[in-house]
Amino acid sequence: MLTRGTVVYIGQRVLLIGFTVLVVSFGVFYAVHSLPGNAFITERVHGQALQALLHQHGLDRPIVVQYWDFLRSAIHGDLGQSFVIQGEAITPLVIRELSVSMELGGAALLITVGLGMLFGVLAAIRQNTWVDYTLTTFAVIGYSVPSFVLASLFVLIFGLWLHDVTGGAFFYPLVWTGTYGTLAELSIPALALGLYTSGQVTRITRAAMLDVVQQDYIRTARAKGLKPVTVTLRHALRNAMVPVTSILGPLVVSIIAGSVVIETIFGIPGLGKEFARSITSHDYNVTVGVFTIFAALIGVANLGVDLLYTVIDPRIRY
Amino acid sequence: MATTVVAALPQEYSGGTLAREQVSLWRDGVRRLRRNKLALAAVIYLAILVVMSIVAFVWTPYKPNAIGACETYTTPSGAHPFGCDELGRDSLSRLMVGAQLSLAVGLGTALIVLFVGVTVGLVAGYFRGPVDSAISLVINIFYGIPTLLVALVLYTLLGPGLVNIMIAISATIWMDMARLVRGQTLSIREREFVEAARASGARSGKILFGHIFPNALGPIIVQATFVIPVAILTAAFLSFLGLGVAPPQADWGGMAAEGLQAIRYVPHIVLAPSIAISLTLLAFNFFGDGLRDAFDPRQKR
Repeated sequence: MLTRGTVVYIGQRVLLIGFTVLVVSFGVFYAVHSLPGNAFITERVHGQALQALLHQHGLDRPIVVQYWDFLRSAIHGDLGQSFVIQGEAITPLVIRELSVSMELGGAALLITVGLGMLFGVLAAIRQNTWVDYTLTTFAVIGYSVPSFVLASLFVLIFGLWLHDVTGGAFFYPLVWTGTYGTLAELSIPALALGLYTSGQVTRITRAAMLDVVQQDYIRTARAKGLKPVTVTLRHALRNAMVPVTSILGPLVVSIIAGSVVIETIFGIPGLGKEFARSITSHDYNVTVGVFTIFAALIGVANLGVDLLYTVIDPRIRY
Repeated sequence: MATTVVAALPQEYSGGTLAREQVSLWRDGVRRLRRNKLALAAVIYLAILVVMSIVAFVWTPYKPNAIGACETYTTPSGAHPFGCDELGRDSLSRLMVGAQLSLAVGLGTALIVLFVGVTVGLVAGYFRGPVDSAISLVINIFYGIPTLLVALVLYTLLGPGLVNIMIAISATIWMDMARLVRGQTLSIREREFVEAARASGARSGKILFGHIFPNALGPIIVQATFVIPVAILTAAFLSFLGLGVAPPQADWGGMAAEGLQAIRYVPHIVLAPSIAISLTLLAFNFFGDGLRDAFDPRQKR
């Protein structure tokens, strides 16, 4: 329910997100501009030619002045131009890539939470049986296998060994035709991205469920004669979801970080791949732009998670 | 304080049949750890890894950086159990040298995190008030930013090098340790023996490091064990993106990345380092779980 307090709370949080994004963007801006070497290091220009090139791009001014300039354009939605891809404006580029990454990241988040909670609940209701041991071991394996290992493995399995079975439906790196990938194409990268974090969700769900089922209201619900499925899903799971919700924020962070690797391996033209490219090719304007968007995304995700609390547990109010 | 677990048993048990041999917390923990088969397997694997990486200092089957020790992309055989890479370097030799690097990064980062996290956590938990608020704010800010990417930027900034990798990774994972130590400190500082120490005139430093720290040691060690796999993973992630140690030096993440372009033709070149990383992370995680069950039985999974 949108009470006055909630509106004020959201307002404060939005201000805080703005502040964080500002700090993060300046941090990255400062960091990349004080790096040794510059975007033109590969063009082998020295002396006067280099000075002229730096001057032309305004890179010989003090960093604070440059940042102020960046900020003024950024507020108007202009993140500047790429150094490396001549004349490429960053704003339309990152918006296009953001939509691709959101699609991949959203699918991965669904897989992480869905699989993780399913396994966690199953492990909890079959505590100390082989089901429990198998699923908890699976969870540890899940977060011990790095996402890039999983991705390479999937490229092998689906792109190579099962090539004839799938009729080449999963040919990696992806040949990108439209803005959005097909569901089939994205399912494997999303799985590679989501499985790693699902292990953590499994563990937390299991622990929370075991904690909740010992409480009195569960006994009452059982005594009332409700079906075990109803008790588990409607009474226990709902309360066990609070701790799970609390790690949603960190999950989003690790999915964003993971997307850098996954998109690079599968050849998905998203923000993550752009970020990796911009770092290795010294395309600093792009680095700053993408990083700023990442920071904003995480801030919004955290706010969303905090608001989700109030839905799951009505006792929590802001 | 190490013997409190058994010493705290109620008086009437000590003379009866329920009495058992008095063992220290550590001996008891080691006993429990040895009963945990997964943890034991993990310890054996890690021991082999450590021995292998020590051996690699003096001997490897081939020179790890020698180009053209065999044909490019040789498939696994008796002479080259893990085949060769695109420059004809023996993969087994490179894996052995890579193990050194992974272990060094893992242990080094754990030490840095231990030092920073424990200090910050102790200070925040012990002095409370504005000090605690300020530290907690910093911790929360760190949680809110994509730390892996911070490591990336930081590492680009610091330049290549083993120590720089450790610093960059530490900067992204010290918060868990700090938060844990802060929580432990907050609860331990209210206990009677701390009050007794304070009453007898001990100074803050003495109370912190002589009384509070030793009593929080169990969870701290367990947490430090979990730092190791995260550090190894992050280092592999960085070198996978081409931000590892300087090129001829072998490291697992870099090996996996280099092999990726040829994965269609010679999968073993990617699989060998990938399996090495995964097994090592798995071993550290199982070992950490076993350690926690053995030494910190109160803490839930």
